[in-house]
Amino acid sequence: MSILSLQNVGFSYNKSTKVLQDINYEFEKGRVYAIVGRSGAGKTTLLSLLSGLTSPTEGAIIFDGKDVRKIDRYKYRSHYVGVVFQQFNLLPHLTAVENVELSMRASGKHIPEKRKLAMELLDKVELDDVLAKRRILKLSGGEQQRVAIARALSYNPDIILADEPTGNLDLATQEEIMDIFQHLAKEENKCIIIVSHSPEVANSVDEVYELAPLKEKRRKKPAMEDKVQPEN
Amino acid sequence: MMILINAFKSITRSKGRNILIGIIVVTVAASSSIALAIKSAASTAKETGLENQTITGSISVDRQKLMEGAQGDGDSGGQADMGSMRELMQQYPDLSLDELKTYSESDYVKEFYYTASASLNAAGDVEAYSTESSSTSSDDSGSEQNGMPDGMRGGMNGGMDSSGFGGMTMGDFSITGYSSESAMTKFISGESKISSGEMFDVESSDLNCLISNELAVFNGLSVGDTITLANPNAEDETYSFTIVGIYTNTSSADSSNQMRFSTAQDPANLICVSYNALKAVTDNSEAVATTSTDDNGSETTTALSMQTSGTYVFSDKTNYESFSKELTGKGLSEYYTLSSSDINNYDSSLVPLENLSSFATTLLFIILGVGAIILIVLNIFNIRERKYEVGVLTAIGIKKGKVAMQYITELLAVTFISVIIGTGIGAAASVPVSNNLLALQVSSQEAAQNSQQENFGRAGGGGQGGMQTRGSGGMFGNSTNAVEYLDTIDATISIEILGQLVGIGILLTILSSLAGVVFVLRYEPLKILANRT
Repeated sequence: MSILSLQNVGFSYNKSTKVLQDINYEFEKGRVYAIVGRSGAGKTTLLSLLSGLTSPTEGAIIFDGKDVRKIDRYKYRSHYVGVVFQQFNLLPHLTAVENVELSMRASGKHIPEKRKLAMELLDKVELDDVLAKRRILKLSGGEQQRVAIARALSYNPDIILADEPTGNLDLATQEEIMDIFQHLAKEENKCIIIVSHSPEVANSVDEVYELAPLKEKRRKKPAMEDKVQPEN
Repeated sequence: MMILINAFKSITRSKGRNILIGIIVVTVAASSSIALAIKSAASTAKETGLENQTITGSISVDRQKLMEGAQGDGDSGGQADMGSMRELMQQYPDLSLDELKTYSESDYVKEFYYTASASLNAAGDVEAYSTESSSTSSDDSGSEQNGMPDGMRGGMNGGMDSSGFGGMTMGDFSITGYSSESAMTKFISGESKISSGEMFDVESSDLNCLISNELAVFNGLSVGDTITLANPNAEDETYSFTIVGIYTNTSSADSSNQMRFSTAQDPANLICVSYNALKAVTDNSEAVATTSTDDNGSETTTALSMQTSGTYVFSDKTNYESFSKELTGKGLSEYYTLSSSDINNYDSSLVPLENLSSFATTLLFIILGVGAIILIVLNIFNIRERKYEVGVLTAIGIKKGKVAMQYITELLAVTFISVIIGTGIGAAASVPVSNNLLALQVSSQEAAQNSQQENFGRAGGGGQGGMQTRGSGGMFGNSTNAVEYLDTIDATISIEILGQLVGIGILLTILSSLAGVVFVLRYEPLKILANRT
């Protein structure tokens, strides 16, 4: 049974700029998915749709049997979906552990001993106590990526969405991050959806959806000679 | 809770921004607290300055109203015609003692006393005290006008010989009869003091009197001596008064350089007797008076006349105001008015404070306006600067309303702390600052008054009393009172002012937050984050 599905989803920023069309994907818990495609294929737009930051202009996104458009999208984002943004989107004036705690508080869920749990999550993504208490700008790209993953996990969502989670990382760190995602899917029954253009990522997931850029459909202007000639 | 925690973290992590806001709010709060303290002190002084303080008042003819009445009745198109005016004045003379006594039966009146004034000439060896070297013996006209220019003297004769002030002929001495010791306000205030002898019996109609020390020295008189005074209209009608006491009078020394139309106006020539004694004199004078008709057909009498004035004493201003309403209810004509020199003087003394209060109000509005504009601009820049933060917070599922609430909470916390600090500074500074500002107002008021006096050719008031007002004392007494401006106020910060300041703080926060809130509500997380990417 899929936790999240896309049914004939299409998206256009305006009448002339259509980015996605007729997308039908199914996502289940306990599996790691990759959505791959070339630049401009609409991967980040699709992630925005999946994370509830915007709504499809066609079709529907169904979460747990319900149309995402019809549920409180703030609650959807703060309870059911954890997003690891490409640029991490962490608050620089807070420390790593405070960023994780902030997400816990934002969810409104009753989470006892937030600080302890946040430290455990950071430990799980292999950030020690010293790094956990550093402000974001004093962490490396890889370390920030781990904080972003810990933040996405902080309120125990069913789905983790990650936008190019390995894009800024060296190969060894990429592998570590992918191991973490695999562990979350297999051991904690999460649905992991990774948007990436990396073949390494595509090779290490359970299922891959390939997103191709929409071809521009232009109606050919009929040539004079193609015009129907009146019968003699 | 999340809002509070986030707000606290944001305040502590963005010190520079919050210190800047804090400095602005501290300045606004300190200035506002001083302005509010001044306003409050002025209002308190006005409302409670005369609270629990005895007020004296008297009923007199309202000449302004009579003039207006004459203007209304007259046919001369808005100009007071003298015929109507005279008719009205005859219709509404000064209230008689009996009428005054009737009104004094009111529950609002604490005490009622009255004085009567008359003018008598010197007779026998006694002479009126005068600093002029000319003779002070009585002349035929009965009016000795020392120290006056000849032209003015002639004018005064023309106007006064027939009726003088209030229908009386001016003599060398003024003699005042008091109904009770309470009526002897100068003795109560300490302006006059018995230096030898004793007070006469106010109930008695014996011709016992108090004379001034100057008069006693001038004539070599002492307690127990008698002085003989004559009716200015009939020189052979004399009265002998026994001196029971001699008093010193500070006002006679203070006002020795003032120009007077008669020696009777010199405080040194004021003779104090009981009302009953003076009444006995005037009654006798009436009994022996002769009447004559002049060429114009008007009748004149040699009877000594006296002018009576009653003074009502009220325990406080409320009773005074209630009595004023009661008078109207009892049918006292609109052409009579109850007035109080105490209230008038107090109101005059508040002029600089009221000016300062008005200045403080203007200043308050300017400060609040400028403060609000600065805070709004600062807040708009603040929110724009924190656009990314808004994007992140809404992207992780915090509703825009909560984000806006967090920013308002941050501003409110900073404002609240700043208001407390500002109020503390204001509280410490309000008393000295307001008193300094008041001193400036007082001196500017005095300078304006002195300049005005000088423009009229009078010597400047100098010192404290720049403004002179007519007192309600007897016509022969020194009837000008120097207004002592209120030059210190208790501009302390009360709970009420603190409440007003907190209100101002909340108002400023809400005003300056509104612009920020609009920005937050307009932001879309996807756009913010996409732009950043």
